[in-house]
Amino acid sequence: MSAASSPSTADLVALRLRSGGFDWQSYVLHGAMLLAMLLALGILLVLLADVAVKALPVLTQRPLDFLTSDLSSRPARAGIAQGLVGSLLLVLFVAFLALPIGVGAAVYLEEYARDTPITRFVRTNIRNLAGVPAIVYGLLGLAVFVTLLGLGEILVVGGLTLAILVLPIVVITTSEALRAVPASIREAALGVGATRWETVRNHVVPYAAPGILTGTILSLARAFGETAPLLMVGAVAGTFSVHGGLIEQLTGPYTALPTIVFNWAGQPQDEFRSLTAATIVVLVAVILLVNGTAILLRNRYDRRW
Amino acid sequence: MFGGIPLTLSRRVRPTVAGILAGAVILAACSNTGSPDESSGPSVAPVSGTLTISGSSTVEPISSIVAEDFQALNPDVEYSVKGPGTGDGFAKFCNGETDISDASRPIKDEEATACADKGIHYVELKIGIDGLSVITSPANDAVTCLSFLDLYALLGPESQGFANWSDADALAGELGSLEGFGDSHAPYPDVALEVTAPGEESGTYDSFVEFAISKIAGEREQEAVTRPDYIPSPDDNIIIEGIAGSDSSLGWVGFAFADESSDSVKSLEVDGGKGCVAPTPETIASNDYPMSRPLFIYVNIDKEATNPAITAFVDYYLSDAGIAAVTEADYIALTAEELAATRSTWDSH
Repeated sequence: MSAASSPSTADLVALRLRSGGFDWQSYVLHGAMLLAMLLALGILLVLLADVAVKALPVLTQRPLDFLTSDLSSRPARAGIAQGLVGSLLLVLFVAFLALPIGVGAAVYLEEYARDTPITRFVRTNIRNLAGVPAIVYGLLGLAVFVTLLGLGEILVVGGLTLAILVLPIVVITTSEALRAVPASIREAALGVGATRWETVRNHVVPYAAPGILTGTILSLARAFGETAPLLMVGAVAGTFSVHGGLIEQLTGPYTALPTIVFNWAGQPQDEFRSLTAATIVVLVAVILLVNGTAILLRNRYDRRW
Repeated sequence: MFGGIPLTLSRRVRPTVAGILAGAVILAACSNTGSPDESSGPSVAPVSGTLTISGSSTVEPISSIVAEDFQALNPDVEYSVKGPGTGDGFAKFCNGETDISDASRPIKDEEATACADKGIHYVELKIGIDGLSVITSPANDAVTCLSFLDLYALLGPESQGFANWSDADALAGELGSLEGFGDSHAPYPDVALEVTAPGEESGTYDSFVEFAISKIAGEREQEAVTRPDYIPSPDDNIIIEGIAGSDSSLGWVGFAFADESSDSVKSLEVDGGKGCVAPTPETIASNDYPMSRPLFIYVNIDKEATNPAITAFVDYYLSDAGIAAVTEADYIALTAEELAATRSTWDSH
């Protein structure tokens, strides 16, 4: 009998009742998990509080000036405007490059490509690429864009490098979102005579939109926080000035908020401690904003079936 | 009815993107309004052009201050100053990628060869002096002065494995017969020896080895390196924290960093053969302190010939207003004669 090899629910309940009494295992586990959560939260709070306290002098004395001033070796005049501009332009670049290509690649892989050894090989490699350390993408950017193509250390190169960095993440999150759309939706559309493109465009992608948006905007936040690859492809850890409009900004020297944090943390003067902390506060605030947008968008397009 | 969704999606996303773009453009506009500086440089007609400066992270703050002020006087000039390190800087400089290279040591022979191979001509200008400070914890009362002999015994290649200051006593005794490196201060205190210092990639490491280790290592037929078993960091602030975090620590760092952190670390006197001297701006400028290094800028004179901004920038760098950046960045100014020598090198190149 199968009952002999695998005990039935009734047997388990009986066993439980016989050993009887207080369910201490649950309580211990409950407590341990609560502790784990509190520890994680505690570390985060200590970190944020420490940074916020150090940032206070700058954020209270010259909040606007700090946000609108250029980089400077003089702590009293140093600001992060160039970093804000650089970071926003970089993320825009990533958004306009990595998102269409990444979503397109995922739609092809999930909706069009046949399940052959080659597509399986491609999928595996995309997953591997998502796990490659960021610095390697920086070296790739340095070798290909700066040296081989001779573009120099300009903002466009930083944007291209970050776009390649987040591309695998965009493909994976979009794939997951597409896969979560039930097959019955596709079958229903195809069943009433829709072409494959009509099915994808009008049914599958709209249903997957919340997942795609969440994944892609989180990958933008990732691009926002990267330092190592940008240092490799020449983000300025120092000072610079650029004139002119968007074109000059895109083809000139650039920096980003994390690069500024990296640079200022290494300066000797004490005032730079506070400046570094203030930059971290701004960086965290901007990333929170980006992530918050992701959640809002996801909720807005949340659909049920 | 599903057909409407992608449309609404793009309509809703568009304002977000436009908002970000508008924000970026507004910030870009704000960031360009550099406030002109009131400090007066040589009164010449404003120039325009692009300046690309890279090299030593030690010199970067000086060049940054000069470039900021120069740009305020010459609003049409665009510049970038980076500090990846002296070696990285020369690699770019000798590849023709930069106009000026900051350096915390003279150019090495192989770097000069690389420049020559690429047909790049340059002029070397000494602009200031940096001292190296040997530091320990303020709680370490037993030590106030270390000679080059002591530093070799405690930090040199033969000190590998010494976990206690007193482990170096025997080695210091052996070294005692060497002349010209100061007197040994052995026996050392019987406390743990915890070393935090710059890593091998740093110009500060090279300078330390050159000052304190290389000659004695040569006498003893050892490689001119430090012991490998210490905590290395490229970030001077982390070194300061490491030194402050242990009561019997030992390490070295640039004078500016030690001076800024005199509350948390103690700078030791150093004996280079002429008695114990404490690092101060005066002893470093007068060369009495045995561990100081010159700071340079290297100017690509081929580029300078075609780019008037470089000429004007270096003129400003060496002017009284420009060279004041050396002390503003917490380094030590050249003596009047040395500055005159640098200026005449530049004027006659």
